[in-house]
Amino acid sequence: MFYLRIIWMALRGLRTNLMRSMLATIGVIIGVGAVVSAVSILQGSEKYFLDQFESLGADKIMVFNGQQQRGGRAMAVNSLKPEDAQVLADEGGDLIKAVAPQYTGGGQIKYFRKNAYVSILGATPGYAEINDYKPVRGSFITREDVRSSAMVVVLGHKVARELFGALPAEGKSVKINGKSFTVAGVMEERGTIGFLEVDNQIIIPLSTAMDRMFGSKYLTSLIVQCADTQKLDACIERTKIILRQEHNLKAGDEDDFITLTQEQFKRQLKQVAIIFAVVFYSIAGISMVVGGIGIMNIMMVSVTERTREIGVRIAVGARRIDILLQFLLEAGIISLFGGALGVACGMAMGDLLSKITQVLQLYTPATTIIYALVMALVVGIISGIYPAIRASNLDPVMALRYE
Amino acid sequence: MSQESANTHPILQAAQLRKEYRMGESVVHALDGVDIAIGAGEFVSITGSSGSGKSTLMHILGCLDRPTSGMLAFKGTLVSRMSDRQLANLRNKNIGFVFQTFNLINRTSAIENVMVPLIYTRKSFSRSIALEALDKVGLKNRAKHTPGELSGGECQRVAIARAIVNSPEVILADEPTGNLDTRTGTSIMETFRSLHESGITIVLVTHEMDVAVQANRMIHMKDGKIVEDLRVDDEYRNYVLQAAQSTQHELLRAKDRMEKAGQKHRVGSGEPGGSTMEPGVVIDEITPDRGGMD
Repeated sequence: MFYLRIIWMALRGLRTNLMRSMLATIGVIIGVGAVVSAVSILQGSEKYFLDQFESLGADKIMVFNGQQQRGGRAMAVNSLKPEDAQVLADEGGDLIKAVAPQYTGGGQIKYFRKNAYVSILGATPGYAEINDYKPVRGSFITREDVRSSAMVVVLGHKVARELFGALPAEGKSVKINGKSFTVAGVMEERGTIGFLEVDNQIIIPLSTAMDRMFGSKYLTSLIVQCADTQKLDACIERTKIILRQEHNLKAGDEDDFITLTQEQFKRQLKQVAIIFAVVFYSIAGISMVVGGIGIMNIMMVSVTERTREIGVRIAVGARRIDILLQFLLEAGIISLFGGALGVACGMAMGDLLSKITQVLQLYTPATTIIYALVMALVVGIISGIYPAIRASNLDPVMALRYE
Repeated sequence: MSQESANTHPILQAAQLRKEYRMGESVVHALDGVDIAIGAGEFVSITGSSGSGKSTLMHILGCLDRPTSGMLAFKGTLVSRMSDRQLANLRNKNIGFVFQTFNLINRTSAIENVMVPLIYTRKSFSRSIALEALDKVGLKNRAKHTPGELSGGECQRVAIARAIVNSPEVILADEPTGNLDTRTGTSIMETFRSLHESGITIVLVTHEMDVAVQANRMIHMKDGKIVEDLRVDDEYRNYVLQAAQSTQHELLRAKDRMEKAGQKHRVGSGEPGGSTMEPGVVIDEITPDRGGMD
């Protein structure tokens, strides 16, 4: 009961100078706001990317074009060729189950007056098999389509809906980047597969994409499906050996490709997240120090203004520890209040950024909010220690005479 | 020391109290060997000019300050041996303070001001105790008003209610009428008398003779020493009060004479010619300084 009354007194003390108290907390608001928005975005983005990679599956290896040291500089090189996929499939033995070579680009698809900007994926039939991704109407790209570089297209669910609505799309002629294609089928609604929002994607034969659409000799990536997730490391090793042989790399040469598994990606993502977290937490830490100084300043003013009140409280029986506690609680409450505002501001800021960019995902774990509030409380109490000690050490006789 | 006080059991007893302040090179003796015994239920006034040590004595008797040397006992227990915690407890339960400038907390209501000592008892309590104390000083109906909404006299009553809320044995009042006009001061003194009649020991520091003689015992201090300690009987009290009234009467007559002569009195005027009043004559309304705290 006694401590409740002390808290009540502290709150009453703050209410008198509400504006001043709020201004004192700006540093804390910024600090906590920065932490909360940063954590929300970091966690949200991490979760988003992990979900993306989860959609690929734990048994798959993504292979991308890599870098090579040329003249002392790291240069991006195009190294993955369609033949690599065939060799991997042929020589993979019992480790590699399937390989899907792909080329990704972008462009405009047009059907009469309706048009949409979409991702264009050049793929082989293996893509649908590996990802267990099926057409709901019509058929997927066939081996014959790839062999003959046919001008056929399979539409993602969203693309079909935008261009054709409820009408059947199969057999219709559409223009992709000015070239005529025939719609072979429409894919099921799936969301994302390995970073690509497949519902907003159209699929054309790999050879058509590389030769007739984008004019490229190289793939953008390869998906290797391993036969056994328990032997993933061996599968990666086999993939690397085959590709190095195919790319004529010598013993001392660096890989000219990058392999990435779900686990490796998670680890890399965590490392990036840690770097960002350190930067954000440093900024937040500096803001909290500034906030703490602000609170200390306002508490010093408060102690000076209330010198006679402190004298009276001691005269009527307050112990020094009671005075100390009252001012410490006031500082803690100011800071906690700032912390709560900071949490609200941080979440609002994260929400705003996520809406503006439409890329950043927001996720605020409850523990982050609790940590932020505890941090604010601790900063407040630490900042309040010196003013509170000064208040509790006042000579009551001098305090009562204070003008 | 008067006969009456010597015969009663001392609630406060001090021997050879000294209080020294160091001011640079020199040492100021605020109290210079004070011996005093105040019996339970006494009504004592301490008078003296400014700097005579009366307030210092009150602070030491109230356990707010410690003497440089000497002994102080409260109901036979040595105060000098008490810890800060015990002293806080003693002040909370046994002693009530009333100050010249009221020292109320302006941001809180009258009843909340009265409740402050109750908080430090560390026990649960009901507002009715504070309301009862306010009722004793006739301010029950003003409980929710803040000091800013109360007159000077009412503020001092709230301060008295705060002093008596824990039913202390002693009330120490430092110039309680100093910031009040005569009529309000008289009313406050009536409150003190009624508290005294209920059995509370009252020690009152004042420099006003008409206030001091309302006590039963008058102690006069000079240069940190007690120079006079006398029992005030009705005869002496009436004599002093009449003398004060007569002085007041004389002052009013002087004022009338001046007004009839067409002279305007200007007190403290900065205009050329200055005051038209006779030297030493002060006729000025006392503006109560509420002396509150935010």
